[in-house]
Amino acid sequence: MPAFPIAIRPDKLSQEMLDYSQKLSEGMQNLLNADEIDTGVTPKDAVLREDKLVLYRYQRPAEVVTQPVPLLVVYALVNRPYMTDLQEDRSTIKGLLATGQDVYLIDWGYPDQADRALTLDDYINGYIDRCVDYLRETHGVDKINILGICQGGTFGLCYTALHPEKVKNLVTMVTPVDFKTPDNLLSSWVQNIDIDLAVDTMGNIPGELLNWTFLSLKPFSLTGQKYVNMVDLLDDEDKIKNFLRMEKWIFDSPDQAGEAFRQFIKDFYQRNGLVDGGITIGEHEVDLKAVTCPVLNIYAMQDHLVPPDGSKALNGLTGSTDYTEHAFPGGHIGIYVSGKAQKEVTPTIGNWLNERSS
Amino acid sequence: MSDTNTSDWMDIQRKYWEAWSELGRKSMGLDNPPANPWAGALDHWWQTMSPALPNDQARDFMQRLMDQGKAFFDITDSLTKGLAGSNPTAEQGWGIFSKSLDELQKAFTSGQWDGEQTLHRLMAFWEMPFDNWQRTMSSLAPLPGDMLSNIPHDQVKNGINQLLSAPGLGYTREEQGRYQALMRRSLDYQSALREYSGFFTQLGVKSVERMRQRLLGLAEHDKTVESARELYDTWIGCCEEVYAEEVGSEDYSRIHGQLVNTQMALKQCMSVMVDESLGALNMPTRAELRTLQDRLQESRRENKQQRRELETLKRQVAHLLEDGAPATASQAPASSPPRRTTTTRKRTTAKSTEK
Repeated sequence: MPAFPIAIRPDKLSQEMLDYSQKLSEGMQNLLNADEIDTGVTPKDAVLREDKLVLYRYQRPAEVVTQPVPLLVVYALVNRPYMTDLQEDRSTIKGLLATGQDVYLIDWGYPDQADRALTLDDYINGYIDRCVDYLRETHGVDKINILGICQGGTFGLCYTALHPEKVKNLVTMVTPVDFKTPDNLLSSWVQNIDIDLAVDTMGNIPGELLNWTFLSLKPFSLTGQKYVNMVDLLDDEDKIKNFLRMEKWIFDSPDQAGEAFRQFIKDFYQRNGLVDGGITIGEHEVDLKAVTCPVLNIYAMQDHLVPPDGSKALNGLTGSTDYTEHAFPGGHIGIYVSGKAQKEVTPTIGNWLNERSS
Repeated sequence: MSDTNTSDWMDIQRKYWEAWSELGRKSMGLDNPPANPWAGALDHWWQTMSPALPNDQARDFMQRLMDQGKAFFDITDSLTKGLAGSNPTAEQGWGIFSKSLDELQKAFTSGQWDGEQTLHRLMAFWEMPFDNWQRTMSSLAPLPGDMLSNIPHDQVKNGINQLLSAPGLGYTREEQGRYQALMRRSLDYQSALREYSGFFTQLGVKSVERMRQRLLGLAEHDKTVESARELYDTWIGCCEEVYAEEVGSEDYSRIHGQLVNTQMALKQCMSVMVDESLGALNMPTRAELRTLQDRLQESRRENKQQRRELETLKRQVAHLLEDGAPATASQAPASSPPRRTTTTRKRTTAKSTEK
């Protein structure tokens, strides 16, 4: 019989329980001192507004020479874009500015029932296209650079396929392309959902429902264990703030405009249209072969939301002769906020763009 | 610290928390002592402290920490029951531990915990995904999510279905039909909810077995678990692993789809009835609003397109006037970049397009 592996000394067990309770009680004061949680640290200016959309331009550091081709960051409709600029030492935006990019970001706002009828055509050929035209006009350039994040990357791909003459370089970050890889839990769950019934019933899809879905991917870690681990941080006010910022972002989930959601789930998740074809946005079919500009595709190797294979599927699907892949050793969130990402991801994007922006 | 001293010291600490717990229990007028004194003491401390917190946000957050702290204590207590305070041989250790795991499996299988609070809470831990669903739905539904959960409908379902299949009669037959549909959809949703809940119960059994295997694996490699946190993390790892394996299955996809679809069908039925009432009161209904939203969006789409075409035409005319030569529309496509001569570096005021 093998040795019994649980060797928790009674005094240690007792001490652990006491430590936990003490940390909790002592940490309460720090928690109360946390004040309001600030997010989005880099100074920015709203340069264009349309309906609930706001296009921001980030202020560039004086000491950096700015590239002539602006970069438009297209974030997902799910969750809020301040994840890219969460705090001073964890900011994708800041990292991009440091490489000389002139960074603009689309904030989609919070759709309400009045936005229920917005379609993917309205988002891609409408809002995104008008932002792109604004940048082309403002900067006097034919083409701009696009960085699409997660679902925003999928939008970026569709947009570039539909308007190749307006995109100089495309960067996709943790972007789903093949929505039916075997390890894609979200995709597996959505296959048996009657999306028409859900959208017809609810109009917009509530953010709470999406939160539930995302937390259900790892329920014990995401709704249990992380709070036990959090107790260890309670003696450090900065760490509490960092934790609370992330907590705020996780639960700050806008509702999804019903018609756009219907099309996204049916065409992309259920029919896997980016791979199998047949996606029509507005009046035109999306053909990824029409994406001929340089493409940088960045994926996270431990991504539980967008499995790496789902992103890597882009290789060979576009018509680009300049396709680069970058694997980041982290997860879907870590790719924006981890220390490693600040050192690795943003310089990679910046350098790649700089080499192709002249 | 010698074993004797350790044991004494642990007893003192335990008594300290038990005293706190007992004091709190009496002051709250509660009769039954808590099964796990650590969790109990934490509970009483929290009940004393929470009213002093200045806002709901801090209270909610601390509540989460408290809940998970208790889960942490409960898991440790369940998995080390009978081990603490003794120095068992390998055979005794495995024997005691196997018994604990067997009890857990039995509780998961039967859904009963013989009045044992800790075990109950440990099982509740496995209901976490299910509980998350209930909370989410409660926040979205016009009726409380658990309103129908206690109806013993499995026993009476056939009878109710038979009753509901009777056609409506007379002037209110349409209304009767709507109520019948509502009841049928309620029953469908409850069935789906029970199947979803049942799925998690069997995952609990599998997780216990996975834990046993994980510890055997550790023992074979001469590794030991030396802290409650390590034990807790190992248990979470086992649960998450089993969960990930099972929820990726076709079967789960079907159960999950059924849960969402039956909930939506029920909610849709409720919305129709709410609309009927609003219509009767001569108030705008959801259906009417949606028709208006669709038409409005269509008009806005056309309007934006026309505005854009107009801008393009203006540019083309300006271009023609500048060049002094005629040009066709095809020479300046709508997508061509607008010409710009001034810098916008200082431009910080938002340009507002149509609202």
